[in-house]
Amino acid sequence: MAEIAFVNVTKRYGNTVAVDGASFTVADNEFFCLFGPPLCGKTTILRLILGLETPDSGEILIDDRPVTHVGPAERNIAMVFQNLALFPHMTAEQNIRFPLVERRVPEARIRERLAHAAAKLHIGHILHKHPAQLSGGERQRVAIARALVRDPIAFLMDDPISALDARLREEARVELKRLQREAGRTLIYVTHDQEEAMSVADRMAILDHGRIRQIGAPVALYDRPNSAYVAQLLGSPPINLLPPGLLPGARADAVQVGIRPEDVEVRPGAGARVTGVEPLGGYTVLTIEAQGASLRAMLRGQPAYAPGQSIAIGAAPERMHFFGPEGERLAS
Amino acid sequence: MTRSPLIELLRYAAILLAVAITLVPILWMVSIAFKPVAEWQAAGADLTWIPRDPTLENFRYLFGRSDSALIVALERTATRPILASILAASFGTLIAMTAGTAAAYGLSRFGAGANLPLALIQLRLFPPMAVMIPVMIMWAFLSLMDTWWGLALIYGIVTLPFAFWLMKTFFDDMPREIEEAALVEGCTRLRVFLKVTLPMMRAPLASATLFVFILNWSDYLVALLLTTRQWATIPVYMASLSSSMTGQLYGAKAALGLIAAVPPVILGILIQRHLVRGLTFGALKQ
Repeated sequence: MAEIAFVNVTKRYGNTVAVDGASFTVADNEFFCLFGPPLCGKTTILRLILGLETPDSGEILIDDRPVTHVGPAERNIAMVFQNLALFPHMTAEQNIRFPLVERRVPEARIRERLAHAAAKLHIGHILHKHPAQLSGGERQRVAIARALVRDPIAFLMDDPISALDARLREEARVELKRLQREAGRTLIYVTHDQEEAMSVADRMAILDHGRIRQIGAPVALYDRPNSAYVAQLLGSPPINLLPPGLLPGARADAVQVGIRPEDVEVRPGAGARVTGVEPLGGYTVLTIEAQGASLRAMLRGQPAYAPGQSIAIGAAPERMHFFGPEGERLAS
Repeated sequence: MTRSPLIELLRYAAILLAVAITLVPILWMVSIAFKPVAEWQAAGADLTWIPRDPTLENFRYLFGRSDSALIVALERTATRPILASILAASFGTLIAMTAGTAAAYGLSRFGAGANLPLALIQLRLFPPMAVMIPVMIMWAFLSLMDTWWGLALIYGIVTLPFAFWLMKTFFDDMPREIEEAALVEGCTRLRVFLKVTLPMMRAPLASATLFVFILNWSDYLVALLLTTRQWATIPVYMASLSSSMTGQLYGAKAALGLIAAVPPVILGILIQRHLVRGLTFGALKQ
């Protein structure tokens, strides 16, 4: 129901360029992720879509209609803010009812929608409490329920689950994906956690100082990053960027050779030395020193390597990424 | 942490001293207020904390109900000054809080009137008394001399910077996302202010109001210059409480002082429950 398009949008705050000529289209019913380091313009993009900010140049289209002069209330887009922004003087129930009350929805319909949202997020038992009395996870659910309750054309979420601990985050993101599927609405999601972005997004945009560096399906970006910057942001442990010549089979014209830790092949031999071993159960991360460069390798299981051990490293040429002087991917 | 008993003792001694310095004048006032003429007169020269012969005579005297032969009856009773003080201080506070809150909100949220803070602090750079003579002349031209509304107006102007600065700090501290959430959820700017901002600002509003009211209530100099007879406030009236026979009427002054302490105390008790800290706690992720 909602296709959101940016056409060459630029937004400045004083001398800082928050969004720099961004163009992209989020398809209807898509789970779209904005991903990048802090202060790269992710939140500004959400604020522009909401209508809380006006672009300095360029145009934002919602369903092919320019929305520059449409106020936040009329855009019918729901937002979950990074700090959740619950109303502290209202109970959870009043918080969730708020969007409907403000839109003069009949009381019977409000009750029905409230019950529906509360059931969906399992918060029926805490509706009478004030935000101060709720745990982090409960607050986040109330904030999402407030967004969900009024059936907007799209949801925007600004890192809403970053306050949760790792295990809860994993549950929450699965849940979010399910909610988005059920609601059948566009969801634009901002995160600084690459694992989270990759696990939930249909497509994602990688940002760098207000510029969009690459857009695509997470796996496509992971496998074919268009720059060293994008390659470095995705994957954990991060990709190794090495001088050419360190690995046999690398292209000679490349300035940097990228190789994912899981693609580094390690065997007994000479030329490199293990400096660190991190056994993580399912796999083991080795820190390796080779010709003055440091790199990491991720191996299945728990192979018997010890710090100080001499090894030989290699990689299949088709698993290598070659980057030019500007960090751009070299055409193969 | 354990402290040595000596330090503990000194600590309590210091606290006791501070409490005594604060309370002694107040208790002395209470004591005098209930003493008969013979006991509070300087000639009595017999200091007691507890009145030997407690009486409400001083209060009766203030309202012209005294039948004592010892002091001359008052020309004017305390009723009108009390009314004058209540009207001038309340409306002055209303003016300062309304204008100050609106200005603080405008500046904090929309950056409107960026020079306002400086202009307002400039009002406090010199004592208000420095401009009171010109104000007197203006007020005389505007027929505002010796009226409670004239006094309320100048009180509103003099305390406006306090209201503005207090409220601006609170507005600056309030996360804007909460208001933006309300905007996104379908409110107009005005409704955001009325339904979200003001309710959240209850505690700051209450404390700022109390502060401004006490400032206005305790003013002496401005009222002394701008009122003469009709609408003299409690402090001005109190200063006039003397007679040729007895000199300063300490008993009546103490009684009036006790009465004057009542409104701020009542106001303080009324808004005490709003003076809670941790106002936005729980609205945001920590």
